[in-house]
Amino acid sequence: MEYVSPEGLRLDGRRPMEMRQLRAEIGTVAKANGSAVFEMGNTKVIAAVYGPREVQNRSQQINDQALVRCEYSMANFSTGDRMRKPKGDRRSTEISLVIRQTMEACILTHLMPRSQIDIFVQVLQADGGTRSACINAATLALADAGIPMRDIVTSCSAGYLNSTPLLDLNYIEDSAGGPDVTVGILPKLDKVTLLQMDAKLPVDIFETVMGLAIEGCKAIANYIREVLLENTKQLEYRRGL
Amino acid sequence: MVGLSVGEKHFIQGGIAQDLRSDGRKRLTYRPIYVETGVIPQAHGSARVRLGATDVIASVKAELGKPSALQPDKGKIAIYVDCSPTAAPMFEGRGGEELSTELSVALQRCLLGGKSGAGAGIDPTSLVVVEGKVCWDLYIDGLVISSDGNLLDALAAAIKAALSNTGIPKVDVAVETRSDEQPEVNISDEEFLQFDTSGIPVIVTLTKVGRHYIVDATSEEESQMSSAVSISVNRKGHICGLTKRGGVGLDPSIILDMISVAKHVSEQLINKLDSEIAAAEASEEES
Repeated sequence: MEYVSPEGLRLDGRRPMEMRQLRAEIGTVAKANGSAVFEMGNTKVIAAVYGPREVQNRSQQINDQALVRCEYSMANFSTGDRMRKPKGDRRSTEISLVIRQTMEACILTHLMPRSQIDIFVQVLQADGGTRSACINAATLALADAGIPMRDIVTSCSAGYLNSTPLLDLNYIEDSAGGPDVTVGILPKLDKVTLLQMDAKLPVDIFETVMGLAIEGCKAIANYIREVLLENTKQLEYRRGL
Repeated sequence: MVGLSVGEKHFIQGGIAQDLRSDGRKRLTYRPIYVETGVIPQAHGSARVRLGATDVIASVKAELGKPSALQPDKGKIAIYVDCSPTAAPMFEGRGGEELSTELSVALQRCLLGGKSGAGAGIDPTSLVVVEGKVCWDLYIDGLVISSDGNLLDALAAAIKAALSNTGIPKVDVAVETRSDEQPEVNISDEEFLQFDTSGIPVIVTLTKVGRHYIVDATSEEESQMSSAVSISVNRKGHICGLTKRGGVGLDPSIILDMISVAKHVSEQLINKLDSEIAAAEASEEES
């Protein structure tokens, strides 16, 4: 199947290095300490953060740092065909773990010993790149909750189809079976915290694909920073400063 | 769940007794209700309803299936509710299952009528394509994103809005060959059929706190309740279903009193909801 037309356009009309439209909104779940909605094209996720608070299960308490927990869940209606999977299947367990490890790397956990931070991400619509969207949403929610972080984490995926590196794969491109590189970076510190790839790729091509994904992450970081700045301005305005 | 001090509890109870609740509402006033339709483009119909800090999404998906042998002239409708852990950390893992099941069953009872399908909000016979062979199966999924009390009323409103937003593709049946074969069907992707949603009831939950009862309780008020009665009422003022929750017993005369109050409140709620749904549909078409 042809994923890139001879004119250099992808199935959804994007250029190979073009990202889907981003949209983010902060503070959508009133009862949570921090929350955000993040959309990448048709992929839409909600993240909510509860904490830092007292550890619920005493045996899990860590004496010199905070306990970070994460749960990823998909709504029944999020996929094209209606899903009837039970909660806690292997895929969601793995993604929960990935998100937890990525977020733990940027939270200053040593500042909040003997406490717990819960991150819940809920996929409302899945159209490829849910992993990245969840991480971006979780970053925004953590920032909204005012949890100290080294830097914001942003994530983006890139792939390689029809001998063209493609940024931000959608569901059709994702299920084409080509390589899918998901990268998470700390943009200010310029460090990679998450890197996953399936399928095989020659080393030199891998380098360009990963470079593309990192460029994507940086673009998302700029957007997230804008959203956070705008949100802070709103808060300032409301306080009447 | 909700940690309240003795003083706060007295404040809530005292406010309800004096017909002035903590957020300034009277006992029988709803919080402002916001409706947004078409939030899930992948579904056949969807809606998001916000009632104060309570936030729910309902989606409708239709699949072609076979009617059951016992009821060959009726399509199947199922309602599932899921409580997302984003709403409260206690819904994590399997923690939300009990509440989800309670809500699903209550909604099924209130919206789908009895086993025979009589008194259902949507006419199940309208879902049949070929009698005994092909019908539409409707899957209605509710998702609780944020919870601040009165989930049942919000979910029922969201389902009503989602069904108003639903378009079922028109199906052409090929000329039948033999009676024992499954007929071939052709699903149109241009023509859609709308449901008649005027008969779908709304649910009004009356929560009893102290000696009085209130509508649209917040989670703080729900934590002080002795019992609650959810009554589903349609536009004609008929009672379509009833559920009582909470352990404390109620005097039968109070229940009858509650029903007449619910009937009165539902008139305003249906009108408000219908105008919100119409406004949401209009703004969706514009964008």
